[in-house]
Amino acid sequence: MGVISTRSLTKYYGKTKGVADLTMSVPTGAVYGFLGPNGAGKTTTIRCLLGMLKPTSGAAEVLGETVTLDGASLRRRIGYVAGEVHLYERETGRWHLDYVAGFRGGRGALTDELLERFEFDPTRRVKELSKGNKQKLALILGMAHDPELLILDEPTSGLDPLNQEAVYDVIKERVVAGRTVFLSSHVLSEVERVCDTVGVIRGGHLVAEEGVKALLGKRLREVEILFGDPTGPELLSGLEGVDNISAVSETTLVARAKGDALDALVKRIATARVVDVRIQQASLEDVFLEFYRGDTAPVTGNGGEER
Amino acid sequence: MSWTLFRATLHQHRTSIFWFVVGLVFYAWVMTWFYPTIGEEYASMIETFPPELLAIFGGSEVPFSSLGGYFQTEYLGIMWILIVSSAVIIYASRSFAGEIAAGTMELVLSQPVSRVKVALTRVAVLIVYAVVLAAASFMPLEVFGPTYDINLGWDVALTLMAFGTLFILAVGGFAMLLSAMFRGGGRPGAIAAGVLGTLWIADLLSGASELADALDPVNIVAYWQPGLLINGDPVAPEAWWLYGAIAVITLVASVAVFARRDVA
Repeated sequence: MGVISTRSLTKYYGKTKGVADLTMSVPTGAVYGFLGPNGAGKTTTIRCLLGMLKPTSGAAEVLGETVTLDGASLRRRIGYVAGEVHLYERETGRWHLDYVAGFRGGRGALTDELLERFEFDPTRRVKELSKGNKQKLALILGMAHDPELLILDEPTSGLDPLNQEAVYDVIKERVVAGRTVFLSSHVLSEVERVCDTVGVIRGGHLVAEEGVKALLGKRLREVEILFGDPTGPELLSGLEGVDNISAVSETTLVARAKGDALDALVKRIATARVVDVRIQQASLEDVFLEFYRGDTAPVTGNGGEER
Repeated sequence: MSWTLFRATLHQHRTSIFWFVVGLVFYAWVMTWFYPTIGEEYASMIETFPPELLAIFGGSEVPFSSLGGYFQTEYLGIMWILIVSSAVIIYASRSFAGEIAAGTMELVLSQPVSRVKVALTRVAVLIVYAVVLAAASFMPLEVFGPTYDINLGWDVALTLMAFGTLFILAVGGFAMLLSAMFRGGGRPGAIAAGVLGTLWIADLLSGASELADALDPVNIVAYWQPGLLINGDPVAPEAWWLYGAIAVITLVASVAVFARRDVA
């Protein structure tokens, strides 16, 4: 049983689909990246997990408890940072810290440390704060009580690189301390950097769920081959899973190998005289874009098998 | 109820509560101060007005030339309704729908507090707000009145305050229910104000329109006759029951609706 577990979680807003038939499990002590473009259903999923939205069908369990609209005891164990930060504009950072402390029975154990690390001045009113400073305050409010589960929706939005580093460091430290982080993002470098596992959501469906390293290692490779003799792109034609074939020069071809197609590709190029081969793992962005091609079949399950 | 949320809600509305209270106290003092100045001429002046005009100011059931008639037509019949209704409709609209639209409800509901507690706390603040507004409206009549030969007595002042509190809660409860149903503070406020305005027009047209007459049993504006209490007369018992029933039903319903709705 994972820290987060959903079974066919579905949410419609009238006829508009928010998330559909979402089944996933987030293991304890992991940083789970929830990847998808705007409107894919990330925030809807998070709101269902927090009991802010009532699922149309399906169910979710978080930290072993079934999520309900009135789950106050569950929320005591969760820290949440919303994607769009909305705070009380007329109040100060200190007021917000005291406000949250009032609900949680005292100041969070990490409050002072986070204030220092983010160099945040809590005496200023929210309306006087920049977007980045509002984001810092939201992060401190969500993480200060050292929750068992951190749900972060685009947590580094608006932060400068130094503070982004600080957020990544805090996330890593929390995971080392045994906490679990559910990180929603469309910043691929962020997911690539801090997440152990990534779930890709498209059009309300989970289309892939896989370890980040495995995803990067297995899914896509850019291959550049230098031949000893002039060779045309037709050498590689007809290979399943090999595309984007082009000739850079008379003796150099580039191609992209998807999934297990690398084996067939290597065997095919071995029929010619090869001088050099360069294989580069595709960035998560390329993998991601592959998933988001409108005509691409959904991918699911551990191992990224085609559905 | 959540004391943290209770204190925070009062804190966030401190400025509006302060200015509404100051305005009501000042208005009540002006009316008591003005009464002896105009008192002797008031009866003769009022007789020159057509009954339809006096009805607009809520003076249909109270003798116009009486002290109660004076307060009813000059203050409590229309202006007071506008002031206190504005106060509680603004508060109620923001309580649920406004906070959801502003996104701050997400901050509240990510904390370990149940939705029922959130809703009950917002209702508790409305009750406090209603009592404070009623006190600011009617206590000055007793405090400043003797200086200007207006002696209501504490029993009348307290009865007025209780009656006023129930009226405010009926209006506020209705607005609260709308706020629990909708997203964005504008629509609940507009609907609540529209319904109140419709009831006021129905009261004016009462007797001349079957539709207006049909609204009579639930027309909280028609039942609002504080001038009778000022004159030492009782108001219709149905008025107490109507205000109480509307307040209780709408406030309970607002808690139930908020506890079950999507917040996003």
